[in-house]
Amino acid sequence: MLRCINRLIEPTSGSIKFLGKDITHLKGEELRKIKMQIGMVFQQFNLIKRRSVLTNVITGKLGSISTFDSILEKFDNEIIDEAYKNLETVGIRDKAKERADSLSGGQQQRVAIARSLMQNPKLLLADEPVASLDPATSNSVMQYFEKINKEFGTTVICNLHFLSLVRRYATQVIALKAGEIIYHGFPNEIDETWFKAIYGEEAEEVEIR
Amino acid sequence: MIADPEIEIHPHKIIERNKRRENKFNFIKAVLLNIFFVFYSIIVLQRAIYYKFILDLRDLPFSWNEIGIIFLISIVIGILWASTRTSLSSKLFGISRDNSVTKWTVEIFGWFLFNITFIAGWIETKISLVDLFSSEGIQGAQRIFGALFQPELGIFDDALFAIIETIYIALLATLISIPPTLLLSFFTARNLMKDNKISFAVYYVLRIVLNFIRSIEPLIWAIIFSVWVGIGPYAGMIALLVHTIASNAKLYSEAIENIEEGPVEVIAATGANKIQIVWYAVVPQIVLPFLSFTI
Repeated sequence: MLRCINRLIEPTSGSIKFLGKDITHLKGEELRKIKMQIGMVFQQFNLIKRRSVLTNVITGKLGSISTFDSILEKFDNEIIDEAYKNLETVGIRDKAKERADSLSGGQQQRVAIARSLMQNPKLLLADEPVASLDPATSNSVMQYFEKINKEFGTTVICNLHFLSLVRRYATQVIALKAGEIIYHGFPNEIDETWFKAIYGEEAEEVEIR
Repeated sequence: MIADPEIEIHPHKIIERNKRRENKFNFIKAVLLNIFFVFYSIIVLQRAIYYKFILDLRDLPFSWNEIGIIFLISIVIGILWASTRTSLSSKLFGISRDNSVTKWTVEIFGWFLFNITFIAGWIETKISLVDLFSSEGIQGAQRIFGALFQPELGIFDDALFAIIETIYIALLATLISIPPTLLLSFFTARNLMKDNKISFAVYYVLRIVLNFIRSIEPLIWAIIFSVWVGIGPYAGMIALLVHTIASNAKLYSEAIENIEEGPVEVIAATGANKIQIVWYAVVPQIVLPFLSFTI
């Protein structure tokens, strides 16, 4: 569903509205303008492994850099400063010159967050951002999402499998099953029976903190 | 609870609809394949095994009418057979009935096809052990092998220059092939070209052209270019060049198809254009494979 919102996957039915505008069938330049306003963080981080952290962060800004400049990797000082500022927001400014694949999982995910911040997004989509991280790092990554939401006023849509994280960070919850919305409400209203309805009878809650 | 929005079409229905469509398409493919199977077995049985082997004819009688009649017969049999859903082709496309009739027809017809193909191949290639061990033939072969180990040193200097020439031909062909190959490989990588219909058409046409070029041996290209630019190292160089471009473009584009899709998705999600996607998400992942292929 997250991939549908920024049209990485085409929806089979229904429509997508973003900032009051129907973007379901936009194409080309207009679609790129919309994509520039929607940040996305993935489960697998999806960094460019052989490039430096700084370059990775700057790729978030590619939509507004001319093609020619981006191929020569000639970036304005403002953009570089902004990249450093965003790296500082996620607390890894000192890693800027290192290769992206030399970082740990949590750090890579923070680079990915900094990259999406480069877009100054109105909406941040997070596709299971903590699914491949350990509990402690998960928590710190989620804290950065909370910080972004509170400080920049960015809407964050995040899909999670850990109810404890949902209870701690979410303000609204939507549960999907087989393509249908089966729950839409507040995190503190989810109880044992709802949990079983969503995950099936055999599921049991796992606590992480 | 906040009110549920209404959902227009149930996802299960969409999956079911797609499945039915796919089944229909598979059935058509199974019918076509079945027609081919039947046509093939009749032709092979008649021409290779009956005419050539049993009647031992030198000049085979050939008439389009006969082939046409065989084709019509095989269309009828093919359609009827495939619509019982017990034929080999419907098994291959996964739409067969799951019973013992299917199992037996698949097994028997499969073996039948394999055997007639092997026998027809044996007859067509005129395999003969007598020719292989005839004394005359062995003496001729001995002469050639003997000459290989007793080189004539009188033409050594000529040969040396020819060797150097060959090395230059190969080197230049490789070097010149790199830029066009790089360019072509991006246009023949499925994952970069599948997004819209025009680029997919370009991809398809380029693939076909490259396959065609690749299937022609460099030696044949050398003959063509000898006529075109005159006999000499230049013709050889162009021949090698053409072949290198076609075969390396294939390797390169496969390397591009093997990249991780993740970074491509990310860069696309930031609103970057196509060239930026290729430069930032594809190029860093393919530099190493490209280097190793070229060297």
